[in-house]
Parts: sequence; structure tokens; C-alpha cells
Amino acid sequence: MASLSSDEWRTICDKFTNAQNLTEVESRNDPENDPFRSKYKARELLREIYCSLKSFEAGEGEEDSGGESGDQRPTEQPVDGQREDVFGQGFSGDSPAGLRAAKLGAVEYYLGVNHVDTEELSAGREHLMNCMKQLERCRVSCENVSLFIHVRNQLGILWAGRDETETAQGFLETAESIYQRYMKEDGSPPTDMTEYFTTEENLLTHQERTKRFELAYTHTMYYLAQVYQNLGETERAAIYCHSTLQRQLQLNQFNPMEWALNAATLSQYYITKGRYMEGRHCLSAATVISGLAGEVPSEAAAQESETESERREQLRQKRAEIARCWIKYCLNLLRDAKKLLEDNIGELDTDRQEELKRERRREEEEEEKGRKSALLFGSEDTFDSIASLEEKVHCLFPLDFTEARAVFLVGQNYVTQAKEYFQMDGYVTDHIEILQDHSSLFRALAFFEEDLERRCKMHKRRVDMLEPICSDLNSQYYLLIHRQLMFELAETYSEMMDLKLTLANRQADTQSLDNHTIKKFNHLCSASAKYFQMFLDSLCSPEGKFPEHLEEEVLRPALVARFRVARLHSRLISSIPSVQLENLNKSLENYKYVVQYCEAHPEAAPAVETELELSKEMAGLLPLKINRLKARMAANNSGMPLLTD
Amino acid sequence: TQLVASGDSNSIKVFVRVRPLTQGTGLTTDGDQSLCLTVTSPNTIRLLSKPEPRTFTYDHVADMDTSQDSVFSSVAKNIVESCMNGYNGTIFAYGQTGSGKTFTMLGPSELDNFTDELRGVIPRSFEYLFFLINREVERSPESKSFLCKCSFIEIYNEQIYDLLDTASASLFLRENIKKGVFVEGAVEKFVNSAAEAYQVLSMGWRNRRVASTSMNRESSRSHAVFTMTLESKESINEVVNIRMSQLNLVDLAGSERQKDTHTEGSRLKEASSINRSLMCLGQVIMALVDVSNGKNRHICYRDSKLTFLLRDSLGGNAKTYIIANVHPGSKCFGETLSTLQFAQRAKLIKNKAVINEDTQGNVR
Repeated sequence: MASLSSDEWRTICDKFTNAQNLTEVESRNDPENDPFRSKYKARELLREIYCSLKSFEAGEGEEDSGGESGDQRPTEQPVDGQREDVFGQGFSGDSPAGLRAAKLGAVEYYLGVNHVDTEELSAGREHLMNCMKQLERCRVSCENVSLFIHVRNQLGILWAGRDETETAQGFLETAESIYQRYMKEDGSPPTDMTEYFTTEENLLTHQERTKRFELAYTHTMYYLAQVYQNLGETERAAIYCHSTLQRQLQLNQFNPMEWALNAATLSQYYITKGRYMEGRHCLSAATVISGLAGEVPSEAAAQESETESERREQLRQKRAEIARCWIKYCLNLLRDAKKLLEDNIGELDTDRQEELKRERRREEEEEEKGRKSALLFGSEDTFDSIASLEEKVHCLFPLDFTEARAVFLVGQNYVTQAKEYFQMDGYVTDHIEILQDHSSLFRALAFFEEDLERRCKMHKRRVDMLEPICSDLNSQYYLLIHRQLMFELAETYSEMMDLKLTLANRQADTQSLDNHTIKKFNHLCSASAKYFQMFLDSLCSPEGKFPEHLEEEVLRPALVARFRVARLHSRLISSIPSVQLENLNKSLENYKYVVQYCEAHPEAAPAVETELELSKEMAGLLPLKINRLKARMAANNSGMPLLTD
Repeated sequence: TQLVASGDSNSIKVFVRVRPLTQGTGLTTDGDQSLCLTVTSPNTIRLLSKPEPRTFTYDHVADMDTSQDSVFSSVAKNIVESCMNGYNGTIFAYGQTGSGKTFTMLGPSELDNFTDELRGVIPRSFEYLFFLINREVERSPESKSFLCKCSFIEIYNEQIYDLLDTASASLFLRENIKKGVFVEGAVEKFVNSAAEAYQVLSMGWRNRRVASTSMNRESSRSHAVFTMTLESKESINEVVNIRMSQLNLVDLAGSERQKDTHTEGSRLKEASSINRSLMCLGQVIMALVDVSNGKNRHICYRDSKLTFLLRDSLGGNAKTYIIANVHPGSKCFGETLSTLQFAQRAKLIKNKAVINEDTQGNVR
């Protein structure tokens, strides 16, 4: 039972340094046909270290059995639970036996990682489990806590890779609780594993120790986020993503743009869950942190050097992406508010509005309380900037036009920002998506507008932004977007038509509409029908044949478009009987199509329940109307225009 | 006449080809005489998995004896014809390295004489395309004319390289409202015959091999995309009709190398060695963001270059064929299974014509 001489110890330290260097640096240059050359060399060195440690320095008063025979529990039990108190039993971490176990454990750890890296997973797992066994003999202390965490991180990765997510979860959750308890009870900067094989003069500073330890725990959080995601526990996964981000920020271990993009993406998670306070917080943090990445290099600077040009591209693109996440925030907030406030015909329900306004005060208080309990981002430097950005837009539902307009304007501002980067020339898809969002912002705002004339103008803005693109877009390459645009234009025109009619009806009844209004009305009506028809044409084969069987994805839109075309034709105003007849026939034909299609394909009926019911009714009524009109035409025979229908 | 896009969602077809067993080619599968699969009908394949064999069904399954010509007839003939009619067409070759992708697409290596009976789908497509072009022009020499351009790029590590101009730096993808997605600055060579097209292809193919040795790019990890753009002009009574279409021929990276990006299931993404970077956190969060509840959200992470470039082919309105190549040896069981599964998933890619129809049920 000899002790290591200082020379021997130095040799071990050198071997270790060498092994680390082989693993981390040289392995990157290994040839393709011998990809693990350096790792194999490192493995040999680690084995030598292990042997040296084993043969020398055997611990006093200890059966050197590696802990295997003395253990009462089965050796191959992979699940790490919290069955035992890792803080209460075993050698103390700073005792010679404790230190020896930790050192042996560390070599096993590195051997384990090495085998995993070279795709020898079973051997890797065995080494990592040996490390666990060594550690079981020790109490958690500042000498070994870091290794306790690291080995569990690695086992977590290993087991998740074998599709045994629950096993991975066990290891990682234990790592989490060890960290927390250690920080509560001790908290002094722990020894890093590399320091076991370092000569006195090369020990780390306290600051560096803390940094490495905290990073290991950040990784635990990061892996847990993935484990929970794999287990389908999205809520928990989101919390761990959030904590990972928060830790990176606090410990200053992040790349600003990468961090900002992750936070912006997280905001989209919160938005889809209707949690606008958290969503807004993530977005504000994303904007503030992306600012830390520095100024966008000027165009001139970008032309000078390639690095600057790349940096310019990166910063502009990513900031534009964050702007787009903000747009979605504003859009969804407006839409959800609209959903909350609309009555059964889609108009503003003023009773509901009053009621919600009364509830508002209580919500505001809750928002304050919620903020205090929610996970918040921010280091000391950034906290205030994040908070002040948050104040620029509400996270409670807007309840009237003024409030809605405030949200709209913020959204519109981000639309402008996003478009600066995602220009039509070069980014067709992105650019159009932004325009579609802009249009949706107008649409949601229009709901809150009480003045119908102004509401109509908002829809006109939507038409103005989408119509030119719809006509220019090559549908050979942009089929889906093209269809979306046609459908949206059709609906917008139809909405404008309804508004015009409501306005006109306020002044007079339909019978006595003036020529100008009729012209306007008919124009909107035909425009809407035209776009629905264009959409339907896009479903045709190259020979112009409409499909006999509608694919699931277009089934409802196609039937709805048919139905709408039918209605639009029956609403066109004309005083010429032959035109009236033509319109009614066209209308009937489309109603019939819906009915007949659903008869031939009964599975389609549930998708268009309301439309089908009305179509059946109309298909029954219209022939009567048509016959009456024909009869009158025949009676008149002269072809003279009839006065009214 | 305006070309109207078709809503044919069966636009992706899958062809599985089983290669013969290898002999003395230096592959690890050499000498492997036991089979892990049998072709049970022209569109089914049975994989001898345990405990029970599994049967997969595709649009077509070709056994070891299938000739190059019959592969061409089933896969490419129709696509080339629709290109003449203004459609875009894409043929992908997918499979493990050594499963016969290059043989299927090009033919035996170092093939300069492209009249060889063993020539692959690509030279045959060129011949057929120019045969059709010449026929059209002969029929109406006054009114019809065609223009053919080729480009050839390689996507390696999410960077785009021009195989026809090896001196150029990496290139960017851009979009144009009229001509869709394109690689900005990629060299385009005009070709007038199948022989010329084949010359362009072999030049690029050689460059790809050079790049893989001199620039340390592994060709088994890169995707190569050969694009032929066909422009047809027809003048009838002073009216000129121009139609553009594209034929993409794609050699995908060896499927065994895709593990780190695709089919990995529940594997955890590890922290990058650079301390500050937890790159994949974004992907985790992305997976949490719900698409199904009708909420409108934006995802900041962009498509891979390949899927972006070929977006139209994967679920658009192009005609697309995927040729999945498999090796029958039992040593390749794992890879073969994953290729067959990939090919089956590919069938599910559909044209997602989601219409923003907000007024569900609001009949006014």
C-alpha cells in the first residue's frame, strides 16, 4: 500500500492533461477513415491513470473491492432514484478515502464519456455506473458534488438515446435535487473534476469553479427540458426551457442572438397557450438581449469586409424574426379579445364589453400578482430595460377601439421593421406572410371600429396590400399562398359588400338604393365572387376539369367557396330580367353542386353542416323564383326591363 | 393559356429498388449472402424482421433483376413528359451509401459513353427530354422553340456550393415572385442536346469528387441537386406563350449519415462544446409550440436549405418521385428498415393547402 510519490503524481497529472487535449482538441483533426484515433489514445492514457490510482494509494481501512461486493443492491440497477440520502452516508468528501473514491470515479467518468463518444455505448454505461458506485461511498460535499452532477447528466443522455426516457429522467432529476440541496446547505464553490488531476499550482479560482459548476447544472436543466418534451409534458418542458434561459442570462453564459431567438420562440409557446403576460415578457427580453449583440454594421462596412457583411445579414435577419414574433403577439391578443367580445353574429357585444370592463380592475391586480410569481428574466443590468419595454404594450385583452388601436399600432410598427429585412425581392414567402399578418391586424382592429365607413376603409387597405401580389404571384411555385390570398380577398370583398349594404340600408331600403350605391355594391359582390371562382379554378386539372373527389385539405374551402359564389350571385342587383335570370341560374347551379357533392360523398357533409342545410333550402326555393321570373318575362315578352323583382 | 396548378396530392410517388448482392467492391457488406428481404409483388416488399416479417407497400418495388431501362420507364418518363407540359418535376435518390443510388441515377461509375445499356435515370432523362423537344420543334418549326439551362449545386453542412464553378464562395437561396426559389449566382449552362447536358453533369460530378478530397467535404454527407430549366416559347398569331418548368435530379446524402439530423427519436441534444451555446434549445421550444389550436405563431428557425430549395417538390404541385435504394444483405437490416420507413413517411407528405378561412360557420 504505497503512496504515490510526487513524481508519480506529476506523471499522472501530465497524462490526464494529455488525454484531455487528445479528446477535445486533437480529435477534431482525426482522418475520416480513422475518426476515433485520438479518442482511443486518450482512452489508453485514462486506463493507465486508473491502474496507477488503483495500485497505489489504496485507502486505509477499506476493503478495496470497488464497492461491488459490499453493496447490498443489485449492481445493474440503472434507475437513479432518491432512495438513499447522498448527503448523509458514506465517507466524507474530504477524507482520504472519499477523495480516492472521487478520483477513481472521475477516471471512470472520463472513460465512460470516451466510450460513448466512440459509439461503444454499453461499455460507456458500465464505466459511468462504476463512477456512480464509487460515489455512493461518499457523502456529497464540495469536493465531489460536481462529479455527482456530471455523471448523472451523462447517464441521462445515454438512457434517453436508448429510448428509455424515464430512466434518463430519474438520473437528471436526482442531479437537480443534489444541486439544490448542496446550494442550500453548503454552496461554496466546488472542486471541478479536472482539478483532481492538477498540480497544486494549477488549481482553479473560486470564480472559475463556480462558473463550471453552474454550467453543469444549466445542462441538467437543458436536458430535463428535452426529457419532459419527449415525455409530452409540455408545460414542464416549457418551465425548464425558461429556467435554462434564465440561468444562461444570470450567469452570463450565452450568445445574445441565439438567446434572444430562443426567448422569442418561447414567447410563441406562451401565446399559443393564451398566456400573454409571459409571452410579452419573453419578447421584451428577446428584444433587449438582441440589442446586446451590437449595432448592425452599415451597408458600406458590409461591402468592405465579408465578416461584417455576414454579421449584418445575421443581425438584421434575426431581429426581423423577433419582430415577427411580436406581430403574432399583437395579432393573437387582438383576435382573442375579439372572440371574447363578439356576439353570435360576430358583432361587438356591448353588454359583454361593459362586464369585462368592470372585471378589468381585478385583472390588473392579478397581473401584478402574477408578475411577482412568474419566472422572470433579467440580470441586474437588463431588468429595467425589459420592464420598460413591457410597458409599451398591454398584455390584457383590449376592450374597446382605443385599446385595440394601441395594440394594433405596436403590431404595425413591427410589420414595418420585419418588412425592412424580408423584402419581396428575395424573400417572397416571408414577405407575403408578413403582409397576411398585417391584413389580419386590420381585420381584427376593424371589429372594434364602430364607424362603418371607417371600418370599410380598413378592409380596403387589406385589399390594396394583397390584390397586386395575388395577381403577380406565380402559382406554379406558390400554389398554397396563392390560394390563401385568393380566399382572403374574396372574403374581404364580401365583408366590404356587407358593410356597404348595412350603411345604405340605414339611409333607405334596398328598393330605393341610388345608382351609385348599386354600382358599388355590385362591384364588391362580383369582385368577391371572382376571387372565390379563381380559388376554385386553382383546384382544376391542367385540362380545366374540376376534381370529382376533393382532397381533405381543400374539401371545406372548396365547398364553402361554391356556397359563397352561389349566395353572391343571388345578391347581385340588376333590373334587367335576363341578367337576373342568369345570376339566379348561376346561383342555383352552385347550391346544387354543394348538395350533390355531399350526396355523392356523405363523409363531406359534417365539414359544411350549415352551408349544406342552407344550400338544400335554396336549391328547393330558387327554381320557384326562377320560374316566376321566366313567367313574367314571357308575359312581358317585349324584353322591356321590369321595374323590380 | 394560363397553367392551372393541380390539386393532385398524390404528387409524391415512391419507388423502391433492391440492388444485387455485392462482390469484391470493398464494401463492408461484401460476402454477405444472406438476405433480409424479399420482393413479394411489383409493389410490396417483405422485410424479414423478428419476431414477424413486415410488409411494406409502395408505388413500385423493383427487384434485383430490374433493368435500368425499366426503372427509367416507371420513374422518370412521366415526369419528363410533364416537364414538357410546364410542370416542375423532381426525382430524389435516397438510401444508404452502397445501396446503389449512383448506379440508379448515373449508371456505372466513370461512364463516359452514355449509350451504355447500364446508363442510369439521368442520362436517359436527358435523352428523352431532347427527343421530345426535337419532336415538338419538328412538328411546328415556325412557332415553337425551347431553351434549356442546367445548374448543379451541392449542399454540404447547410452551405451551398456551385459544382459548375468551384472557385465561387458559398451561395445564397433567394425567392422571386415569378420564378420561385433559386440559388443566387449559380452558374447556368445552356445546353442543346442530351450529350451537352451529360457533359455538364459529368463536369459537376467530377468537381464534387475533387471537392470531397481537397476541401474535406464528404460526398456521402452532401446533397447534390442537378437542375434543368426548360423554357418553351410558342407563338400563335402574334401571341407568345412562355412556359417555364424545372426538372430537379437530387442525390441525397447517404441515409446512414442522416442520423444526427433526422430519425433520432428521443435522443437528447447535447450542449455544444462552446460553453455559451445551447443551440438546440430552440428546437425543443419549437416542438412545444402548438400548431393545432388555430393560433397564429411564428417560428424563428428556418427550413434546411434542401427542403427550402425543393419546397415545391415536397408537398407542392410538382411531380415528385423518390427512389429508395436498399441493399438486400442481412447485415444492412437496420439501414434498410430505416430507409423503408423513410420511404413510407415520404408518401404521407401532402400538399397542405390550408386556407385561412376564419369565418367558419359564420354564414351571413
